[in-house]
Amino acid sequence: MDWFTDRHTFLLAVLLYGLSTVYSVFLWRRGFRRDDYVNLALLGLAFVLHTAAMGLRGFSLKSCPVNNLYEATTFLAWALALASLVVSFLPRLRYVSTFAVPLLFIIGVFALMPSLDPPRGPKPEFTGWLVSLHAAMILLAYGAFGLGAVSGLMYLSQQHNLKFKKLSAVFSLLPPIQRVEVVTIRLVVVGFVFLTIGLFAGGRLPRPEGMTYFSDTKVKWSALLWLSYLVLLAWRWRPGLSGRRFAYGATGVFVFLLLTFWGTNLLSKLHHQ
Amino acid sequence: MIVVLGLSHRSAPVEMRERFAFAESRIPEALARLRARGRINEAVILSTCNRVEIYATGQPDVNTTAAELQEFLRDFHASPAPLPLEIYTLTEPQSVHHLFKVAAGLDSMVLGETEILGQLKQAYDLALQHKHTGPRLNKAFQRAFNVAKHIRTETNIQRGSVSVASVAVELAEKIFTTLSEHEVMVIGAGDTSEKTARALLSRGARSIVVANRSFDRAAELARELGGRAMRFDDWTKEFERVDIVISSTAAPHHILDRATLEPLVKLRRNRPLLLIDIAVPRDIDPEVNYLDNVFLYNVDDLQGIADNYLQQRREEIARCEAIIQEKAKPVLTMNAGSLNLSPTQQESHA
Repeated sequence: MDWFTDRHTFLLAVLLYGLSTVYSVFLWRRGFRRDDYVNLALLGLAFVLHTAAMGLRGFSLKSCPVNNLYEATTFLAWALALASLVVSFLPRLRYVSTFAVPLLFIIGVFALMPSLDPPRGPKPEFTGWLVSLHAAMILLAYGAFGLGAVSGLMYLSQQHNLKFKKLSAVFSLLPPIQRVEVVTIRLVVVGFVFLTIGLFAGGRLPRPEGMTYFSDTKVKWSALLWLSYLVLLAWRWRPGLSGRRFAYGATGVFVFLLLTFWGTNLLSKLHHQ
Repeated sequence: MIVVLGLSHRSAPVEMRERFAFAESRIPEALARLRARGRINEAVILSTCNRVEIYATGQPDVNTTAAELQEFLRDFHASPAPLPLEIYTLTEPQSVHHLFKVAAGLDSMVLGETEILGQLKQAYDLALQHKHTGPRLNKAFQRAFNVAKHIRTETNIQRGSVSVASVAVELAEKIFTTLSEHEVMVIGAGDTSEKTARALLSRGARSIVVANRSFDRAAELARELGGRAMRFDDWTKEFERVDIVISSTAAPHHILDRATLEPLVKLRRNRPLLLIDIAVPRDIDPEVNYLDNVFLYNVDDLQGIADNYLQQRREEIARCEAIIQEKAKPVLTMNAGSLNLSPTQQESHA
């Protein structure tokens, strides 16, 4: 079974995310009218395979598997899947997974691109618990932001249906929008705390010779991301931002994160040492 | 063999139903008188605002049982012979199917409602208590209660709200995490607004405030609902506190428009506001729905949702009837006889 690597295990997980995405479309078409555990079961199974894939990679490296873009992307998706599963067990939030799996599927397919996982070279120069903490915290933060965006989309969908008197607003089993709003805010807060810890840990890492942190694209991008979420939260806390606008903000900033994450990684010299 | 004699909202107008209704306090006496005639072995009398029915078993010949029930009904209510055609008589298997349908709410005015099941249980308990039931009716009624429960869990016959008041509650529950933290305001103390307020309170709404042109009427309703009354001219002052507003004044124009509400919404610190406008002409300018965190529903919107639920329930009838046919089999008497009834009487509830 040597040919069956951690990437194959991850591929199986992505296929299950894909299957769950197709099923989610049916649930959406039916207006989320009936209680349904199939999607949750598919997500749970995919999560087990996903965790196994990361575990296999981690054991082979003997460290936290976040050393290249493939590993970082799978870790990001794993954090998102974990958060979705946890939230799905809260009362009337089961359908969060329905909104999350398409995102997991897209991220998974992207992660499987061979160029993201080149053959391993010499051992990275910077290792140790601080690197693991930096990477893990930041990727968990992205997971929380991702789920916050999913929850924001759920809010926008339900709010639109209620505003425009769509029958699906009443017939669906989606949770009340006030609860979805609270969940969205909390996820963004959790993500922001993780991101702050992760960035702080990154700032404590040994500085490569001849490099300053703030000249690096990824560091500048991370600072912009941190600032964006800070503004979003501060604006909300000053009660100037409605639930609808906060949901747009949480979704918009995460879309920006998704679209620029890989590009800034590739441009970052600091993250390729 | 079980025979049913009765009339319901489907067959008779209220004037006739009230003529043949049994007061709850007189049902034990009626049952005793019916059985004292000697030809009826077991009997249950169900008398609600929508139906009066006698379920009975007696002679092997169902015609004799049916005739006995008809005669009793005439005698008890001092009605001249013959009984009106609106009164139906059903024998097995229709009588058992009918009992199961009644228990499941399939024969109710509001399709799928559950109140009738409680009334049927009460009627059965009363007969049981006074020893007017036996093995046949005990089995049939117990089975009917089980079938009603089965239908409720296995089909969508009771899903959703089919009245304006319950739709309003459902909408509130789609917006607010829990109603216990939210105050309700009633503007204009009409019948529907009162029902809606009661429904919200029964689902846990925290408190209620009533504003009405007549302060006395506001105070009266507030007292009934356990809330407080306020002067009609002051109702906008409460908008910062309340989260659900039910409006049903007789005003000929909008009493709440966007310009009035916009500054009030800002004071609410982004809390959602559900406005239920059940007045005709409407009390609330539809433009307010474009404000953030404001959700406005008028009476047509609520009725539309209720009608849709009702349609969904109607689509479930065939499934329910299939379940009833199947579950009734063990209750039906073997080699059931036939009854010489007019076609209209047989068909009215077959």
